[in-house]
Amino acid sequence: MRYYILALLVVLSPVFVLAQKDAKVPDPDPELERKTFIVAEGFEVNLFAADPLLAKPIQMNFDPQGRLWVATSEIYPQIKPGEKANDKIIILEDTDTDGKADKTTVFADGLLIPTGIEPGDGGAYVANSTELVHLSASKPGGKADKKKVLLSGFGTEDTHHIIHTFRWGPDCRLYFNQSIYIHSHIETPHGVKRLNAGGIWRFNPDKTELDVFARGWINSWGHAFDKYGQSFVTDGAGGEGINHAIPGGYYLTSEGPHRQRVLHGMNPGSPKYCGLEIISGRHFPADWQGDLITNDFRGHRVCRFKLKDDGSSFAAREMTEVIKSNHPAFRPIDVKMGPDGALYIADWYNPIIQHGEVDFRDPRRDKTHGRIWRVTAKGRDLVKKPKLVDATIPELLDQLKSPEDWTRLQAKRVLKERGKEKVLPELEKWTNAIDIERHDENHLLEVLWVWDAALTDNRGVTQAQVKAYGAVLKRGVFANSPQVRAIAIRLSGERHAKGPKSGPLEIYKEHWCRGDHPRVRLEAVRSLGAFRSAVAAEAALLVLDKPMDRTLDYALWLTIRELEPYWMPEFKSGKLDFGGDAKKIAFALSAAANKDTVKPVVALIDGGKLPKENVHGMYLLLTQIGGPDELVKVLGFAGRDSGVTPAARIELVQAVEDAIRTRKVPPPKLATGLPSLLRQDGAVAHSAMRIAGLWKVAAHRVMLDTAASEPETPDHVRATALEALALFGDDKAKALITKLCSADQKPAVRRMAITALAGLDMPTAATKAGEFLPNAKPEEELGELFAAFLNRKGGAGVLAKALAGKKLNAEVARIGLKSARASGQPADELIAALTKAGDLGAAKKPPTPDEVKALVADAMKGNAVRGELVYRRKELQCMACHAYGGAGGQVGPDMTSIGASAQPDYLVESLLLPTKAIKEGYHAMRVVTADEKVYLGVKVREADGLLVLRTSEDKEITIPVKDITERGQAMKSLMPEGLTDQLTKQDFADLVKFLTELGKVGGPYAPNKARVVRRWQVIDPTNPNLNLFRRTRVSAAAEPDNPFAWSPTYSKVSGVLPLGELPKFTVWNDTEAQTVLRFQLDVTTAGNVKLKFNSVERLVVYVGNTPVEPKLETILDLKTGVQTVTILINRHWRTEDLRIELDDVANSPARVSIVGGK
Amino acid sequence: MFLSAALAVLLSTQPNDPPKPFEFKAGDRIVWLGSTLVEREQRYGYWETALLAANADKNITVRNLGWSGDTVHGEARGRFDFNNPDMCFKQLVNLTLELKPTVIFISYGTNEAFEGKEGLPKFEKGLEKLLDALKPAKARIVLLSPMRFYRTKSYPDPIPMNEKLKLYRDSIKAIAEKRDVHFADLYHVWPSFHIVSENGMHLTEDGYKHTAVPFTGILGQKYTRFPETKLESLRQAVIAKNELFFHRWRPQNETYLFGFRKHEQGKNAKEVAEFDPLVAKAEDEIAKLRKELK
Repeated sequence: MRYYILALLVVLSPVFVLAQKDAKVPDPDPELERKTFIVAEGFEVNLFAADPLLAKPIQMNFDPQGRLWVATSEIYPQIKPGEKANDKIIILEDTDTDGKADKTTVFADGLLIPTGIEPGDGGAYVANSTELVHLSASKPGGKADKKKVLLSGFGTEDTHHIIHTFRWGPDCRLYFNQSIYIHSHIETPHGVKRLNAGGIWRFNPDKTELDVFARGWINSWGHAFDKYGQSFVTDGAGGEGINHAIPGGYYLTSEGPHRQRVLHGMNPGSPKYCGLEIISGRHFPADWQGDLITNDFRGHRVCRFKLKDDGSSFAAREMTEVIKSNHPAFRPIDVKMGPDGALYIADWYNPIIQHGEVDFRDPRRDKTHGRIWRVTAKGRDLVKKPKLVDATIPELLDQLKSPEDWTRLQAKRVLKERGKEKVLPELEKWTNAIDIERHDENHLLEVLWVWDAALTDNRGVTQAQVKAYGAVLKRGVFANSPQVRAIAIRLSGERHAKGPKSGPLEIYKEHWCRGDHPRVRLEAVRSLGAFRSAVAAEAALLVLDKPMDRTLDYALWLTIRELEPYWMPEFKSGKLDFGGDAKKIAFALSAAANKDTVKPVVALIDGGKLPKENVHGMYLLLTQIGGPDELVKVLGFAGRDSGVTPAARIELVQAVEDAIRTRKVPPPKLATGLPSLLRQDGAVAHSAMRIAGLWKVAAHRVMLDTAASEPETPDHVRATALEALALFGDDKAKALITKLCSADQKPAVRRMAITALAGLDMPTAATKAGEFLPNAKPEEELGELFAAFLNRKGGAGVLAKALAGKKLNAEVARIGLKSARASGQPADELIAALTKAGDLGAAKKPPTPDEVKALVADAMKGNAVRGELVYRRKELQCMACHAYGGAGGQVGPDMTSIGASAQPDYLVESLLLPTKAIKEGYHAMRVVTADEKVYLGVKVREADGLLVLRTSEDKEITIPVKDITERGQAMKSLMPEGLTDQLTKQDFADLVKFLTELGKVGGPYAPNKARVVRRWQVIDPTNPNLNLFRRTRVSAAAEPDNPFAWSPTYSKVSGVLPLGELPKFTVWNDTEAQTVLRFQLDVTTAGNVKLKFNSVERLVVYVGNTPVEPKLETILDLKTGVQTVTILINRHWRTEDLRIELDDVANSPARVSIVGGK
Repeated sequence: MFLSAALAVLLSTQPNDPPKPFEFKAGDRIVWLGSTLVEREQRYGYWETALLAANADKNITVRNLGWSGDTVHGEARGRFDFNNPDMCFKQLVNLTLELKPTVIFISYGTNEAFEGKEGLPKFEKGLEKLLDALKPAKARIVLLSPMRFYRTKSYPDPIPMNEKLKLYRDSIKAIAEKRDVHFADLYHVWPSFHIVSENGMHLTEDGYKHTAVPFTGILGQKYTRFPETKLESLRQAVIAKNELFFHRWRPQNETYLFGFRKHEQGKNAKEVAEFDPLVAKAEDEIAKLRKELK
């Protein structure tokens, strides 16, 4: 076979731009676009408005009159020098209610990329670059001629991250978002508010009160409220689908004092979504009510999710799309319910998205088009536009009963704008006239919001009004509906946290923290965070007496941390003991993770009252906060024969090792726990050896010396022994390791010794490598040896010098080149030295634009089916770093809809020149520590003086910030260059073809809402694994905490797991070949679910360690928590591939998702 | 109670001394540092226009580097380095020095004042450090005090905050005296009979208008009446210049142009320098209108 070698120069300069190069500029006729829409059954789509009435819509919102306000920008992404900022706010009106806009007004122009618009208060709130402004017109219906700056200091580091997603909350506060690159510093009369990453702001224009409502996300262009005021968020650059945003919560990529822990979205592995709306009202069928609508703008789809309660939070399930299309310029980006009960969709209309990867001035950027589409249900009546602006206050209060969320929200806005002088007397009258105990609770909640919005200060408010408001509030916080109660507690908390606290706190203790519904407890716990008192912490911890779930656990953790300044001093002085309840004390101390609490933690462990399930957590906490004595205590516990599972033992010992490395915990007088751990198997003993090295424990030195030097030591033990000895770092260690590098030693010993020596004495190690490598054979594991030099500052250069004039086996030199490229760092000298020493010939130049064009042309003729097999090849490592549908490595972006958003030339380039364009959030950092070690990885978080990076091996590493001497952006992508070098021309074309098909609507690799198992783990037939089988039995693989080594494997895009790719083994010579597989289900609410098998032939299935009879539809009754399904396959008989789909069982409360990831 | 509070306000509004005149020279380049008060002035231009008009015979140029939420430590300027105080401070100092000022207006203290008396030592240390770091410019320094907060419908009680602001005002004055640099007392700008603020903290557009003359007053500038239309033309030219300069020094998409993703779109950074000739042209227009005042 003729190999087409795509070798490249390593130093590249971005000389040409190719991303989305082949983007086609389509015929802009809206009807042609509309014809591509595949619409959900029973619905139709009509054009509401299009260019030239509007161009480039970014956000839209209706006003109470039913007019649609649209923010548009032709300047995006960047103003040109000399160009006048002239972006517009336009108003679209459908005066004859035929479903088409017939009147357009330019309300404002002269704006610079307005990314948010919300009408209100006699004009509109508009995002104007660094400012939030209010625009209004002196003449009704006229053009805006007054501009008030309300807030300034929003960051503009990226024009698709600047403030956006404006909407009125049900509480009449203005909510808006900013995205990850934005750093904002906003002055308010109540203090300076700073937010240095993504998040949602909450703004009360009446008093210039601004707060962060929730933090995080990469680019969150979707936020909607359900009828009970709960917030849902989508992310236009994250992949977790629908998020339930709780007050003050931290989500993916948060900045702020509690960023150590974040909440996650409900649909990991989703494509990116933009915009969010909730269906409500009589025009839509009953089974659509409360469903969420969002846009997969890259995949040209308008998506629908069904929401269900799941403990204190929710579960969201994708349904059939509202619209899907293959039109390259259909970019649905905003979605809103309208006054007629129809659904409106803003279509940005652009073949090119984004400006990070595509040139600002790319001529194919569309600057003139834009559409608003309208989705209606066939044969169902529209909603009659409600009378609001001319209505009386009692009429408006009556409109708050409307089944349309749209009408209720707009009625509240009109009431708010009437002013409290007019509204409060009427509210008082209304409240006193109703039978409050029997009144409809949903209606009452709306009225409560009106009260709350009117009472932003006390001026001019009468006692009688306060009393009437109090009656509504009281009714709300004791409502029968838990959803009403939950949000009323939020409102009540905001008021009472500022006033006298003891009364309200008693009610929290008595009722809400022990409430019967988990969402009531969730809101109670979160609202306590603002109460600034020790008693508030005491009240919050009461929720532990009731069933907990993940969101509640997070909420409590956050609240306890927020309240730490108030409860910690009282706890330490003994004034507060949380009722002596060890579980509560353990939770509080873990949440605070404060060094000052070592003593109480030890006392708690020694007190013997700690519930069993808390013991491990308390020992783990000790590894985070304890000194030498406490670490020894942990080691002693981990070394016990009983009461510690193997998995817990590994976790504890490795946590101690981490503590010594990251917190520099000095050695104890006597490291008593170590000897028994050194006698253990596997990971525990390895970690114990390194601990001996880190603490320089003289007592174990002889053992390490022996293990390093003895010829019969197993390789993996020798490597760790050498690593531990190197940690002693003294002359004696250096002498011993140097001796082991010499030519009289076995090659494996020399290789490992040189690797260890690189950390101790780089020049000598390089000399020794220069002696060793010319005789080394390619089948030896040389990658680590090269890495030992490449991962140290200056190491590559030193090794290059040592190789001068040497001759290497060509394959050995290639291994070195591969390591050098994978290191992600400049290593020109070493690459030159290796090329010369291996006589490899000069590397090829980067592809020219013409060559890329030719490769793209070839790829278009490629075969996607074969391409998927190339993608799945182990040596290409694609799945080790990239996920599909959330299953796979997390180092690089998810590939689910890559073909729908990226053009073929971009894909070709990304394969050949990974560094040229790197996706948002996947830029690696380069960090050098005081010991000259170089680390590369994507920043996961930085908090408490520790930096956490995700490396190219998908491992999280923690580096103490104090140890860092240099830090900056890595010059290269974490994706190694030259990965595809060994592919044939045909393989390469097929691979690209496959990638271009991923996520394309109508194609074989289109997004699919079926919940199939994609991430599996399989037992490889290694000797340790086979020995374990022989010692026990095959079904031992289903036991919890079993000691087998499992490797990841993934389904094809179709969900099928090809059996032929899976390892099989025979335990004894005459037994039939088997494969052992498993996957996990995450159960958040217990109940029945269904597994649908393509065939159950020759399968043995376990859930946990309980055998289950497999049927084509197998019903499982699952408890909460992560449940493992283990499958034994008789490979002698079964040849059919395996596909398993998760499905609901009618009327079952279960909330289950398939565990993804690597 | 109310009376004594009102009296306190009244007393605190009495300036201690009449302001010393600050003398501008032909060719002066003023760089103006500060937070929202300074940042918003560039979009309205009343204060800058009044200053130019008071020195209509001199060629003076102003570069407004105000940044909302900023402090003497450059806290608002760190962008991706927001966690690194050295980088924040460097941003503030380096850009000022690059602009080669002959006069530097330093207008800080408002945001720091939220910290009250406890925050004062940190503020003073920061201000001294800033003054030291700006020495290489060899510019004449004007230290401006924070403005007071005003009683408004949405901010009914400014007294507690004004007590804090007064502490910072006094501290700035003391540092100015110690270093023998000019002090301008914005705290005592008192725009009688006009509503100058809505949120209590920041001036509205009208607020800048009605404080323009008092502003030049605290710098000891002589007031000359010019025709309103001519002043307005000058102000429009000032605003146009400020907008162009804003795009120059604080462009959008920093991340791609100069930041860690410049390897992708950094080629477009050359466009930003193209604002320089446009700013220069706008200055010519200002100079022309300034000369026409007389």
